[in-house]
Amino acid sequence: MKKLSCRLAASIFAMLFLMVGAKAATLADVKERGRLVCGVNEGLQGFAAKNGEAWEGFDVDFCRAVAVAVLGDDTAVDYVPLSAEARFQALSEGKIDILSRNSTWTLGRELEHGLTFAGVSYYDGQGFMVPRQPERLSALELDGTIVCVLAGTTSQANIPDYFVANNMAHEIAALGSAEDILAAYQSGRCNVVSSDVSQLYAWRLLLADSDEHIILPDTISKEPLGPVVRKDDPHWATVVNWVLFALVNAEEMGITSASVDAAIASDKPDVRRFVGTDGSLGSDLGLANDWTAQVVRSVGNYGEIFSRNLGAGSDLAIERGLNRLWNRGGILYAPPHR
Amino acid sequence: MQFRLSLAIGLALTVFWAAISNAAQRKELDVEEQPGYIPTAAEEKLPAKWRPQPVFFRTTEPAGTIIIHTEERFLYHVMGDGRAMRYGVGVGRIGFEWQGIHRISRKSEWPDWRPPPEMIERQPYLPRFMAGGPGNPLGARALYLGNTIYRIHGTNQPQTIGHAMSSGCFRMINPDVITLYEGVPVGTRVIVRQAPKL
Repeated sequence: MKKLSCRLAASIFAMLFLMVGAKAATLADVKERGRLVCGVNEGLQGFAAKNGEAWEGFDVDFCRAVAVAVLGDDTAVDYVPLSAEARFQALSEGKIDILSRNSTWTLGRELEHGLTFAGVSYYDGQGFMVPRQPERLSALELDGTIVCVLAGTTSQANIPDYFVANNMAHEIAALGSAEDILAAYQSGRCNVVSSDVSQLYAWRLLLADSDEHIILPDTISKEPLGPVVRKDDPHWATVVNWVLFALVNAEEMGITSASVDAAIASDKPDVRRFVGTDGSLGSDLGLANDWTAQVVRSVGNYGEIFSRNLGAGSDLAIERGLNRLWNRGGILYAPPHR
Repeated sequence: MQFRLSLAIGLALTVFWAAISNAAQRKELDVEEQPGYIPTAAEEKLPAKWRPQPVFFRTTEPAGTIIIHTEERFLYHVMGDGRAMRYGVGVGRIGFEWQGIHRISRKSEWPDWRPPPEMIERQPYLPRFMAGGPGNPLGARALYLGNTIYRIHGTNQPQTIGHAMSSGCFRMINPDVITLYEGVPVGTRVIVRQAPKL
């Protein structure tokens, strides 16, 4: 009898625990609230910045895409600007539903804060800016150069590793600010600038003759940026992850904001399944069955989002590079929507 | 207005007919050529986006291969090690897209231009024959694609780079096509890709 009550107590305890566990239902919370709370950068050109009252940028568009997927409305987002220091804690404490803020996916970050990265939305990495010269094709041709880099960053530490490993003589000019680096580069004190590629494009804009400088194709470090969610809600992670995959798959299938209707009317089985004309994948996921069509219609596919905020359609004019589709020269690869 | 419309329809029909007619017709270029016009160095300095640039480009194709992504208006000359040299090109207009794999069958410097009969009919003032040279619409170099009527060639109209206005050929500014020509032997594989269709 005593044993039984012990078991009973244990199972009641287990049930309570499960109920508490099941409370981490972000999808239901967001639907009930009618708003998605999205953590973004306080201001980073191309990724998240306020234009008047409206937030714009690559990371902002991802928030919008999730809002359309869940709520059918790309304006149903409350943006929470977060500093680099505050971002992960804001997420783990439940102040935001999702962190979409140019954050590099590392094991340490997932472990320390109890978080999960829901895919990679942008492959960044350390690269090199040089004056545009026909014979300068790769970072392996930087022998004997003087490299400007921000002092005290991992970028500075990576330079000797790379140059020594490739038997290239070099000097480092480690400077304290972007202004100092660009001044040194323009005065000829250094002839190469190194930082994360997205950063280099932003810096290049500040040069008077920006068109005369290029960012070399090579990257010497891995900086995969992506949206982050809490670890305790796997279903929400699945939703966010597949919103990202949907944007990529839409580009791969040739579905744009302008061609959604053609996609809905398409005869191709993979396209019909994707936009929800066939099957029930959307409702099985807990969303509208045509959520992908809605997302692409209001936000565009991955290529459109990239181009508008970072790429050829923006001032930054960042090359797609690694972020091209896997079958178009890049490494962007989404699992099949089926 | 009506005249303009019928002219436009006429032009479209002629160009269409030219495109579907066989290779013997040697359809060279589309309607708005400026034979004899010699582009200035300033005109050949393209917007940064269309200038040659080494880019990351992961491919299973061997170094040396040319890959053209028509919808991007870019030609990639594969360098290996995940890199390609990318050039801005002008491509075939809507209705004149094609894709496939060919090999460079012939190369020529400063190719001659023979406008096809239907183009002469439409623009009687065009020369029947124009010797290769700086004002020639085919530009400084031509790379012939297999036994098709298509080729990669230069142009005396740098402003057409980045646009879809040819009848299926790929145009590059003369300085770029000269550079490419040097690095592309006969037999080089050329892969032409289009955007996926819905």
